Amino acid sequence: MDHKTSEEAALVRRVQARDEMAFREVVERYQSKVFSIIFGILRNRNDAEDIAQQVFAKVYFSIKNFDFRSSLLTWIYKITVNECYDYLRKKRVRKLVYESDFSQEDAQRMEASEPAVDGSVPADTRLAQRDLILKLLSKVSEEERSLILLKEVEGHSVEELAGMTGLNENTIKVKLFRTRQKLLRAAGRLTRTR
Amino acid sequence: MHREIRHHIEDVLTGSQAGSRDTLKDAREHLAQCDECRSEVQGMQEQTALIRELRAPEDFAAELRPGFYARVMERIEAEGPISIWNLFIESAFGRRIAVASLALALLIGVYVVTAERSVEDSTLALESQQLPAGQTIVAGEDAPAREITQVDQLQTDQSSEDAVLANLVTYREQ
Repeated sequence: MDHKTSEEAALVRRVQARDEMAFREVVERYQSKVFSIIFGILRNRNDAEDIAQQVFAKVYFSIKNFDFRSSLLTWIYKITVNECYDYLRKKRVRKLVYESDFSQEDAQRMEASEPAVDGSVPADTRLAQRDLILKLLSKVSEEERSLILLKEVEGHSVEELAGMTGLNENTIKVKLFRTRQKLLRAAGRLTRTR
Repeated sequence: MHREIRHHIEDVLTGSQAGSRDTLKDAREHLAQCDECRSEVQGMQEQTALIRELRAPEDFAAELRPGFYARVMERIEAEGPISIWNLFIESAFGRRIAVASLALALLIGVYVVTAERSVEDSTLALESQQLPAGQTIVAGEDAPAREITQVDQLQTDQSSEDAVLANLVTYREQ
């Protein structure tokens, strides 16, 4: 797929030329998507909005480096996931000093959840699993993290990922496989150290 | 993990029919026989399920508060353009480079100072070795001259007087 000649590419070129209307269009086109990606990872509405603002500020400042090798959404997706991890890293540092890891929304979900008598996973276990997978995903590269999230969270097929990233399908498969192996190894190391 | 599975892992994990039926059938047969591959695939399936938990809930309303664009622009104006210094201060990699550069500069500084001192010492040692036997070091810039004090002068005078007296005594005896 050629990302240089699409309608989206024309829009990007206008943003690169600092056309404010074009930037507004980019924000309006992707704000809901970015917001839901962040919320999916962090599960905190207020933080999600703050990070979404930061994502678009970063898009504004970095768009001159966009090289049209991938789609704009893939590029924004990568920035979004990186910002989430940056936030988590800073939060971990803050937490060591004074902050609890337990957000108000977590508490509300815990209170609302019934004891797991129906075979479903209890809320606190789900939170622990979420923490674990976020920690494991921090052990792989930014590219690998974005790719596996695009595949499993956004539900894109290998073929679609190839089109979105400008890589061929075999390369995508190899990258995904290596990422999965790294995640397994990281999980093994984590269990051994606990 | 064996090749039969590695090549079709995405199809195996998603249960996709994208691969040909024969290859998927081969992969399933291999999994039924190979404990190592089965255990690895099972681990990957569990992790995939956990990653899918990072999806926003289906009932999530991705509606931002009104004025989101204005707030983004406010943030852009507040942050200003990214300077080269921001790259060093904000990114972990940049910070590491800055620390490494400072450490290198410190090492070079220490090396230069100690190297200059050792060159001075070795020059002095060389100069003292090259002097002919019996010759004393003459006061110069590098070796401070011994001051001739009044005591030294008196001692010298006293010994010359003794020598004159001794000469006179021997002369009279003769």
